[in-house]
Amino acid sequence: MVDKINNLKFKTKNVSVFYGSKQAINKISLDIEEKQITALIGPSGCGKSTFLRCLNRMNDVISNCSVNGKILLDGNNIYSDEIDPVLLRAKVGMVFQKPNPFPKSIFENIAYGPRIHGIGNNRAELTDLVHHSLEQAGLIDEVKDRLDDIATGLSGGQQQRICIARAIAVNPDVILMDEPCSALDPIATAKIEELMSSLSKSYTIIIVTHSMQQAGRVSQKTAFFHMGDLIEYGETPKIFTQPDQQKTQDYITGRFG
Amino acid sequence: MSFSTLLLLIFAFSLCSFFFSSSSAFKKIKSATSRPSALPKHYGQYSLAWTLFPAFLLLIVFTIIGPIYVDNFFKQQIALTEASYDKAKIELVLAMIKNISNGSISSDEPKILKLAEEYSNYLSKIYLFRTLSVLLLSSILGIIISSNINILKNSRVKVETFYRILFFVSAVIAIFTTVGIIASLLYESLRFFALYPFFDFLFGLHWAPNIAIRSDQVAAQGSFGMLPVLIGTILVALIAMIVALPIGLFSAIYLAEFASKRVRDIIKPTLEVLAGIPTVVYGYFAALTAAPFIRKIGMTLGLDVSSESALAAGAVMGIMIIPFISSLSDDIINSVPQSLRDGSLGLGATKAETTIKVVLPAAFPGLVGAFLLAVSRAIGETMIVVMAAGLSANLTINPLETVTTVTVQIVSLLTGDTEFDDIKTLSAFGLGLALFAFTLILNVIALVVSRRLSEQYD
Ligand SMILES: Nc1ncnc2c1ncn2[C@@H]1O[C@H](COP(=O)(O)OP(=O)(O)OP(=O)(O)O)[C@@H](O)[C@H]1O
Ligand SMILES: [Mg+2]
Repeated sequence: MVDKINNLKFKTKNVSVFYGSKQAINKISLDIEEKQITALIGPSGCGKSTFLRCLNRMNDVISNCSVNGKILLDGNNIYSDEIDPVLLRAKVGMVFQKPNPFPKSIFENIAYGPRIHGIGNNRAELTDLVHHSLEQAGLIDEVKDRLDDIATGLSGGQQQRICIARAIAVNPDVILMDEPCSALDPIATAKIEELMSSLSKSYTIIIVTHSMQQAGRVSQKTAFFHMGDLIEYGETPKIFTQPDQQKTQDYITGRFG
Repeated sequence: MSFSTLLLLIFAFSLCSFFFSSSSAFKKIKSATSRPSALPKHYGQYSLAWTLFPAFLLLIVFTIIGPIYVDNFFKQQIALTEASYDKAKIELVLAMIKNISNGSISSDEPKILKLAEEYSNYLSKIYLFRTLSVLLLSSILGIIISSNINILKNSRVKVETFYRILFFVSAVIAIFTTVGIIASLLYESLRFFALYPFFDFLFGLHWAPNIAIRSDQVAAQGSFGMLPVLIGTILVALIAMIVALPIGLFSAIYLAEFASKRVRDIIKPTLEVLAGIPTVVYGYFAALTAAPFIRKIGMTLGLDVSSESALAAGAVMGIMIIPFISSLSDDIINSVPQSLRDGSLGLGATKAETTIKVVLPAAFPGLVGAFLLAVSRAIGETMIVVMAAGLSANLTINPLETVTTVTVQIVSLLTGDTEFDDIKTLSAFGLGLALFAFTLILNVIALVVSRRLSEQYD
């Protein structure tokens, strides 16, 4: 039986990351498929966020962080000199653990990215784009009458969806999400999971999560990290039902973590 | 015993009672069967507070009231013996008695000498009484409290009360001293406005307090229109802010957002050292270097620059304020959460875009506060202006001319031999009040603006 073949979006080869002299992840090689949801799981401190931040070079912001190895996005090494990290980040958007909308109006939050990248030149285009992004983020009904209200006044779940809408608005290929639901209640979480599933039709999504159930519910592929190493990577159902490695088995059954 | 010796002694007493109480509480807690309601240190602090504060209060009261009481007593004595003396004369005699008793002058009038001796006896009796009562109070309270430690009573709550009172009293003192200063300023200003019409002062275009220093000198009535002085102040402060604001703010942005950690670790302390240079030094710089330099440049451009100019003073004042603004703004910019920067960078914004569009707006309320603090400093600054801008009150907004400022005028009005009910002296209080009102208005504006903005940006 042959699975449907997906294009590869990311291909990482022997990626190691050091904070100063301390190694955070060790020779990670991982292929990520297009328009799928890939989940990264593993105990705290194992390097999931570090790996995720390599994929849009957000690690560049941390002064003592150095990245070795190769990361190919659509076949191009994103750490080569020709790549402008700023443009890369427009292509590979990021949603953070804690909702971090800007202290501006809802409209301005969504319009921020497009403005910076010169998408939507006049007010009408921009308004359309904002509405469309909010719609995709499943937020439009809740906020369409208060686009001028300040975004930090929304609930946590709404704020996180603002952040997702904000990322969508620059029309990225990939959306990285670092524990996007860890600050949210189950209902808000369910909404975001639903949203991820619908977004995965048009975007490649990579999500870090501490919740096995969440990984099981939303992702097609799961990678298990442990102490900076990639222990196992495969189809989500397989990882959760019959993993090859003992460590994976222990982690998903809650024997350590 | 002197004030400081007494203070040291009651400190020592309270430390003893602290250690004694906490160790006795410790022992009792150890052997107790029931759970104690507080830790040993709370019992220690409790008895420390009781040993220290009542005695300290008593000491303060004696130190303030004692001499006043003695003075009044002697005024009565003098009035009784010399019925012909009026109030002023009595004050004079009393002052003489005091000076003799502390040995700074001598006299050969036996009556006075006798009074002086009585005075010092009386005072030393009061002081002896002070010593005894303070020490007694402290030691008795200390002994009673620390020998009656009951670990079932919750001393933590009581210690908490003591802390609360302590902080409350400090706050009250801070407020009352401020109110007192304002009240005295108001009082003296009212005396001035009794002699000189308020509106003439407020809107007068001519400032020339050329009234005689001694009342027997013949001179014209001075003119006290404060507008030239106020406009001079605003002019100099404005020039200072034009210099300091962009440079200070931009260097802060560089430090907070762009500089590497190593550069930051060098520059930040350097800035703080710069902020501590005494203003006289800047004054020298302004008078000896900046002013002649500006004059020279002006001459080559064919401009008429006076040797003391608002521009020289303002520019140097700006240089003085740069580290102040820079250091404050750096702290404020740094306190903007990193998550906001990450959010913006993650969307593909550059560092500069992130700084301008996200970080600065979020820091804006704080920056407004820092900016207005700097303005207040510029307005209050005296030394540089005395040395570099001159004393003559020209009504001008030309930065190349010599101007004067409110603080400089106050200093020049109050230095030297001045009589305290003279209109010239009193006008200094009028100026002080005007300056106070001006900075108050600025601060209120700052408060309103930054509150509005932080509502918007929270
Ligand atoms: N900025 C940093 N400087 C130095 N060390 C860091 C930094 N960020 C992360 N580390 C270290 O790198 C290792 C991996 O951290 P990372 O944040 O990637 O873990 P994680 O898997 O995301 O954990 P969690 O599930 O708790 O978020 C940890 O040991 C951490 O201490
Ligand atoms: Mg993490």
